[in-house]
Amino acid sequence: MNRRRWLIHLVLRALAHRKGRTILLLAVLAMASSLATALGIVSSSMGKRVAEEVRKYGANLVIIPETARLDVGSGGLNFGVVSEPTYLLQRQVEDALALSGLHAERSFHLRGTLHWKDADIIVEGVNFADIRRLFPWWQIKGNWPVAGETVVGNDLATRLKLKPGDTMELVGKDQLVRLRISGIVSSGGEEDALLFLALPELQQALGLNGQLTLVRLMVTAGGDSLKKSAAALQLLLPKVKVNEVRQTARTSEGLLAKVKLLMLMVTAVVLISAGSSVAGTMSTTVLERGKEIGLMKAMGGTRWEVMLIFCGEAALLGVSGGVAGYLFGSAIAQFITRTVFSASAEFIPWFACISLGVSLFLALLGSLGPMISVFKLDPVRSLRGE
Amino acid sequence: MATAIIETTSLTRNYGDICALKPLDLQVPEGEWLSVMGHSGSGKSTLMNLVGGLDRPSAGSLQVGGKDLLALTEDGLARFRREFVGIIFQQHHLVPYLSAVENVMMAQYFHSVPDEAEARLALERVGLGHRLKNRPGELSGGEQQRVCIARAIINSPKLLLGDEPTGNLDHKSTVMVMDLLKELRDEERFTIIMVTHNQEVAAWGDRTIYLDDGVLVREERMNS
Amino acid sequence: MVAIKLIPHILSWVGIVLILLRGFPERKRVVAVAVGAGFALGVAGTFFLFRSFPGDFSFSLIRDVVGGSFLLLWGIAVASIYRSTVRNFPLSWGERFFASIFFAGVGAFMSGMIAGAISVCRLGTSGGMLMLLILVLVACVLVFESLAIERLLPPSFTVSNSALMAGVVALLLFSSSSILRLDLFSPLSMKVMKFTHDFVHQFFESMLIPDHLFIHIHLWRYIGLLFGKEVGFWGGLIIWFAPAILIALAISFERLPSVAHIRQGAQRRTVVATAIRARRFRLVVPGITILVLAGAGYQSRFPAVEYWDPKPIVISAGPSGEIVIPLKGEVDLKDGKLHKYLFSQGGKEARFFVLMTPTGQLTVDLDACAICKPDGYGQTEGTVLCYYCKTLIPLETVGKPGGCNPVPIHFTEKKDGVYIDGLTLINTWSTTVQTTARVKEGSK
Repeated sequence: MNRRRWLIHLVLRALAHRKGRTILLLAVLAMASSLATALGIVSSSMGKRVAEEVRKYGANLVIIPETARLDVGSGGLNFGVVSEPTYLLQRQVEDALALSGLHAERSFHLRGTLHWKDADIIVEGVNFADIRRLFPWWQIKGNWPVAGETVVGNDLATRLKLKPGDTMELVGKDQLVRLRISGIVSSGGEEDALLFLALPELQQALGLNGQLTLVRLMVTAGGDSLKKSAAALQLLLPKVKVNEVRQTARTSEGLLAKVKLLMLMVTAVVLISAGSSVAGTMSTTVLERGKEIGLMKAMGGTRWEVMLIFCGEAALLGVSGGVAGYLFGSAIAQFITRTVFSASAEFIPWFACISLGVSLFLALLGSLGPMISVFKLDPVRSLRGE
Repeated sequence: MATAIIETTSLTRNYGDICALKPLDLQVPEGEWLSVMGHSGSGKSTLMNLVGGLDRPSAGSLQVGGKDLLALTEDGLARFRREFVGIIFQQHHLVPYLSAVENVMMAQYFHSVPDEAEARLALERVGLGHRLKNRPGELSGGEQQRVCIARAIINSPKLLLGDEPTGNLDHKSTVMVMDLLKELRDEERFTIIMVTHNQEVAAWGDRTIYLDDGVLVREERMNS
Repeated sequence: MVAIKLIPHILSWVGIVLILLRGFPERKRVVAVAVGAGFALGVAGTFFLFRSFPGDFSFSLIRDVVGGSFLLLWGIAVASIYRSTVRNFPLSWGERFFASIFFAGVGAFMSGMIAGAISVCRLGTSGGMLMLLILVLVACVLVFESLAIERLLPPSFTVSNSALMAGVVALLLFSSSSILRLDLFSPLSMKVMKFTHDFVHQFFESMLIPDHLFIHIHLWRYIGLLFGKEVGFWGGLIIWFAPAILIALAISFERLPSVAHIRQGAQRRTVVATAIRARRFRLVVPGITILVLAGAGYQSRFPAVEYWDPKPIVISAGPSGEIVIPLKGEVDLKDGKLHKYLFSQGGKEARFFVLMTPTGQLTVDLDACAICKPDGYGQTEGTVLCYYCKTLIPLETVGKPGGCNPVPIHFTEKKDGVYIDGLTLINTWSTTVQTTARVKEGSK
């Protein structure tokens, strides 16, 4: 039998001898590391979850022509009457997006005015498929339009007394379009005052083939990388403006940070209390085993060799506590995310390292004091039973 | 006369103000069986701890096996103990959670490498071949002390120290243990220093010294 | 500044001397003198080598010598692992040779020489004789220091013959890997990558791997792995570390002394324990060797050298479809530096650079070569470097086609600037990049 195997054997025997205390220590270590693991997994899954939630709030980048003005959320009623409107080239934007390699949902918009009866109506050309993906909060009374159909904003519909099924003839600069209203849209935003039709139809009607006034992008990224994406895109599109729409993202990130801080504090408290209970248990053990330590020293074990045996015990406890903690913590995380966020937590293998590290660190740190007393213990006194 | 294995000159040990061992000059030749007698607190255990490298003297010089124990570091003393000294205690001090054979292997571990076959042989030699796997709690006092002897001699020490090895044993076990020690000594030729307050036990030795209040008061040579 | 540059070399120099001294404990004086003399001669020799053959030849010569020592290490490693598993491997003549004073002297001398040569490569010859003299003096002082340090090391710390070799070679590799033109790891992984590519290609050519039909898409993914850059990296790592690991294994497989004849148990166990302890100490140098090799590999993969890596300037063609870059506009094309441009037309784009070679010729090349993925080039001292395969291309040869050289583009140089046809540029880029992309990505 070589020395290493003997050491492991000895440590196992010693732990098995004090079953109750071993189980207690294991439970404390497993609990602490499982809590740390669970909170870690939850907060990392939550980060992703919040990113998903942010997605629901729609576009986070907009591309607008250099000279045009855009006030997000301010009604934008002046928008359509810009005297010399400038346009984006659809091709250019598409190319730039392809080049930049950004993973972004996109929606192209063209705003303009069409003449109906005696008045100018602000209309917007969009791809309805994109709209359904990017603006899930649009509520349509009626149906989503197909070719030759239109949806009218709620306010506009009330003002002009329009209802689904009506047909409108709108006069554009180039062409006349005949549209059937398929539904009324309400979003609570500026959309309520607009009339929407398919983008190519509006482009033809206005004679602005391949031109746009606004591109909304939804880049799936958080914080810094959004800024980077904007900068990267700006580089590829030197003649237009790429702006960030950060409002919603910022608030949810702030909330997330606060929740994370709370979790961190809870974890810290748990770790500290677990550490002190490990320290207490360990020092009782060492006190009880004073004679054994003295004997080992009397038999010729150096201080380091004797300490190694006790460190081995702590390390073994730490490792098994860590393994148990990881398994248990993953289960807890799964439970929390299921019940609180109603989503399943992901399986993150590298968190095993964290739970192992936490548990090992606690076990060794907690036994630091007892180890020092093992190191210093005088064999003569301890054997005499002092 | 053989060369001295232990040589002390004005060896002194103070614990604070209390002087446990007054300056003592002692020479123990190699292979001798020395019994140390005295009342409790007479300094006999202190002497044994000093000679065994468990404790450090306050003054004087102490040479064991040609080594100056005062010059050794803490770890050096530990190495000295593992290679040179075997100790038998009154309370046995066996590790409770290890079997008899594992208790012997513990001494092997600190000395060099554990060797189970050799540990078994050593236990068979002290007549415990049938109780190898028993824990100390399952052994009688005499058997425990025999495990203790096997553990003390497993590393072939030059010096065997006994701290009242028979203090907890009945007469029959005492005789058995002492006979065993004598037999082993005749084979291995190690030096024995045995602390006792039992005149009968002391008579197993070659020489007896009497300590009183840290002073060597009388010396007596046995002739057996 | 010079001192900071030399830190890795000084560290490995001290390490080499220490290992040599411990490796030949009976011949310390011979070793110290030989290693010092070797260093001095190495420095002098390299100085004159650079004087008579400036440029790539000298560098490749020294690199080949270092590479040769690595191959020798492989030989020793294989021999030692073979010997540890097969008992009667006749090596007694080799051992006698190893123990001879001749070997100690020559080995130390050679190691010193290579170390000296590498240091000169780092310093360059521009500093003149005085600088090199100081270098030799510093090296000699360090030899004396090492003699002193060696005495402080614990006596149980011994170095086996194979570990001695491994340690010295690893330190030389560490020293050389901090110099881009002497680096061995990147060329090694490059070679492995090319070999794997060629090998798999041959298989395709000879139809040993059946094309389409039978092969499931997952299998293609695995075959695709063989075309990745990672193959070169991991393969290179294996070749890089194997000798040191083999030597460490050989030492840990060493048999313990036979103790059956010792009657006393305690003595028997003492012999075994001492042997185990000694074996563990002999494992220290191979262990350090593995760390040093890892350091060398790291240096080679993430070199501390700063690249001149300009951001591509976006440029567009004039109405005639021609790109005009003024010779002295915002950038001075003739400053000898790499100038990158990005040209896009019709949704396609091409990266290229303009560079004046040391011969005074302007050259326009794609920022890509015919072999690698188009990761582009950076410029370092006297060379441009392909970011993908880390191949160094001497500036003199930039503008010549073939291999890993950047693909040259036809251009006309007029008084006011450089004229490049936009369409040709785009087409060349597309064909080049498409071919390389197809090859590199395999079936994907």
